[in-house]
Amino acid sequence: MADFTAEVFQNEFLPDGGTDVHAIVRVTSTGASAGASGAGAVGLADPGSAAEVILIDTSGSMGRRGVAAAGEAAKAALAEIVDGTLFSIVSGNGTAQIIYPYSHQGALVPMSSHTRGEANRAIEGLRANGGTAMGTWLTLARQIFETVPHVTKRHAILLTDGVNEGETPASLQAAVRSCVGAFQCDCRGVGDQWRVDEVRGIASALLGTVDLIPAPEEMAAEFRSMMRASMSRGIASSELRVWVPQGAELLFVKQVSPTLEDLTSRRTAVNPLTGAYPTGAWSDESRDYHVAVRLPARTLGQEQLAARVQFSLGGDPVAQALVKAKWSNDDSLTTRIDPAVAAYTGQAELATVIQEGLAAKAAGQDDVATSKLGRAVQLAGMTGNDEMTSRLRKVVDIDDADTGTVRLKKGASKIDEMSLDTASTKTSRVRR
Amino acid sequence: MTDTPTTGSPQPEATAPATQAPSRTCRACGTANPAESSFCEACGADLVVLNAPAFPGGTAGDLAGGAAADGTAVSDGTLLASATPQTAPAGEESPLDVGWTGAVPSAVVPPAPADDDLLCRVCGQGHIVDGYCDQCGSPPPDPRDHFAEAPAAWVGGVCDIGRRHARNEDAMSLSATEAPGSRAVLVVCDGVSMATDSHIASLAAAKAARSVLDQPFPKGVGTPDAWAAAAGRALTVAVASANEAVAECVHEDVPNPPSCTIAAAVVEDDVVVAGNVGDSRVYWLPDASEQPALQLGRDDSFAQEQMVAGVPRVEAENGPHAHSITRWLGKDAPDDLTPHLTTLQATPGWLMVCSDGLWNYCSEAEDLRTLLREAAARLQQSGAHESGAHESGAHESGAHESGADESAAHKSGAGDPATRAINASTAAGTTATPTPTALAQALVDFANEQGGRDNITVALARLAGRGSTTSEATAAAAPMEGDPIDG
Repeated sequence: MADFTAEVFQNEFLPDGGTDVHAIVRVTSTGASAGASGAGAVGLADPGSAAEVILIDTSGSMGRRGVAAAGEAAKAALAEIVDGTLFSIVSGNGTAQIIYPYSHQGALVPMSSHTRGEANRAIEGLRANGGTAMGTWLTLARQIFETVPHVTKRHAILLTDGVNEGETPASLQAAVRSCVGAFQCDCRGVGDQWRVDEVRGIASALLGTVDLIPAPEEMAAEFRSMMRASMSRGIASSELRVWVPQGAELLFVKQVSPTLEDLTSRRTAVNPLTGAYPTGAWSDESRDYHVAVRLPARTLGQEQLAARVQFSLGGDPVAQALVKAKWSNDDSLTTRIDPAVAAYTGQAELATVIQEGLAAKAAGQDDVATSKLGRAVQLAGMTGNDEMTSRLRKVVDIDDADTGTVRLKKGASKIDEMSLDTASTKTSRVRR
Repeated sequence: MTDTPTTGSPQPEATAPATQAPSRTCRACGTANPAESSFCEACGADLVVLNAPAFPGGTAGDLAGGAAADGTAVSDGTLLASATPQTAPAGEESPLDVGWTGAVPSAVVPPAPADDDLLCRVCGQGHIVDGYCDQCGSPPPDPRDHFAEAPAAWVGGVCDIGRRHARNEDAMSLSATEAPGSRAVLVVCDGVSMATDSHIASLAAAKAARSVLDQPFPKGVGTPDAWAAAAGRALTVAVASANEAVAECVHEDVPNPPSCTIAAAVVEDDVVVAGNVGDSRVYWLPDASEQPALQLGRDDSFAQEQMVAGVPRVEAENGPHAHSITRWLGKDAPDDLTPHLTTLQATPGWLMVCSDGLWNYCSEAEDLRTLLREAAARLQQSGAHESGAHESGAHESGAHESGADESAAHKSGAGDPATRAINASTAAGTTATPTPTALAQALVDFANEQGGRDNITVALARLAGRGSTTSEATAAAAPMEGDPIDG
């Protein structure tokens, strides 16, 4: 059986009149990995309770080489799918069609050596042609998953190489919204012709990851690892529940590790004081959440519970952390900022300024871009995020990292900017 | 503490389901619900729990304006009693002049929840889960922060954290026999806040002293002098015992070993003996205005030394080191711990033992007597008002009882027919006289309203004076400054 623990990192002391409480809640699962615990006992011992859909971009821009590489990537992913798992392969361009299973077999078939072979042969028939309308792909995926309502763990991989066209942004948004809660979707963009913010919007809403695959040849390895990660998730769906006291305001709930994800707007009310935030499928892993609560100030010496953060499966809380507030006039207690809160606050700001800086650069606002990316360099230096510093270095020339003095690099490649953009939301784990 | 007031909604606690109007008002949000509702339709609050008597209505601070000894108690849906213990018709007399005929019997212990141990005492809506209220997030109040004792109908006290301190380092220990004026022990200790664990030390000291003083004094040859000598010896032993108890609280060498003051008074057949070390005080506040109100004994404080040197009281007690005490109990106590002793033949009046949390705001004995009279008058008025309100079935908003007094009502056996009969008869044409506990609470509320800068403890005993014939009483009322040793 999977075990979950929740730890809280915070400075519970508030100064006289202080109102805002910040805490990092770390949720860690053990025994949640589908492969690790044999029979699993987590409800996924039966691979038939999981379904996978692979969405492959076959628009004209993919070209013969791109489609061939995507096909190889799909085959690599198929090789990772555990026998018995339901699966389907969708080819997407201006419209979407299931290329496997064949129409008489239904929308999904259980994986076996036979079906895997048939699927591999179907993939050989893919040809590049037409436009890119990702909304139609997602809608088809949702319809596929809806044929198996009893399946709890539903996951898709979406591959694209270009900008969404042939449908309005609004219709893509509507399609994405219709898929929220229906399945999770990891998204990958290949090359430098796709838009990071567009694809990130899909992945974020569908509780998945987004990343850049620089060249078609690298797709197979990426698909393999994505599918392996999905197969390892033994917990189908979960949610974070956050209670705050009457009269308090929940400022935000963010996932801050392994990636940044603002969950605040995804709240569904459990009761007037408690909101639930979907957190998707889990493997053996650890995720950090930043919770910020604004309380009416109490008198010095008083204490109260500021938030109760629960991790729940199927509505049952399995782990809980208590966020507290104590008012004190001892400055040595109240002025200390918890290191985890400080580190993640810095990383969140880093992600924001990188994305805003790149957007400004794309819009031709070089002065804004220089100032934002300069701040990013400064933050990356302050938080010791060397990986981000080296990514930034490909986009800007750094004159002085401490003051954030930078110049936009003249010959910065699009792919370097995109890789900086996709990497911006990946945070480095704060150690305790 | 009164930091989290309840809403100003109509007060449903006085309403028993059996006699209820066709609406059940939610105490949380004020919405009127159908009488049979279990939960509020507007806010979802549990009306059964919320309207139960164990719900601590208001906080302690509301008591002064509320029913002091309200007999209404609903525990199982039955109207148990609506009578209020009362005395002779109010007239124009001061309640102190009327004399003591209070009738709330038996002991009061710190709030004892009858229906729901987990109901939050701060907001009254939520329940304690994992140590915090699931509505307002407050932890349950530490019972050490506020407690009341009422060992007999004529003796009671309240020990309160105040408004500004994080810990209640005051302590109180009371005992009394049933018959008014027969025998009572009142001990108050004030822990020194700069020291470690003074809240533990002060309580240990108070209990140790009380257990010594609980032993009846040897009568000797039966003369007043012999009694005074025996009483003085007992008080000296009690202080020594308290001192040992404080010293025992230290398990290892700490830079600031705990220490505390002590003020104790014993009543034996309407004779009072009082003693103190430090700046906690015993006051004698006689009803008769022609008799002076007195502080019995004197402070061991820098302020006292200044006053002896001629500095006026107001100036001395507000000076820079006014609260520095010159003698205390504890591991580092001075060698001479002989208490300042006073003996006194009681006339009708109030014996008070208190910490500086109260007298900081009202130091002169005469002022304190005035304060006590005013508080008693207020309590009596609101008691009478309450009584009328109950009889007419109306509900007064803002009239809450403290949890302590509600549990007193429970424990008084208000439900048994005999008590009900008594209450009913006293209710017939009389008004309420405040209990010592209610009066002590009113004085604690006063100190909190003034700022509550320190912990506050007030213990009171109501003395009627034996025979209380005027001439005899007046003659005996002059205190005999015992002090044979204290020179």
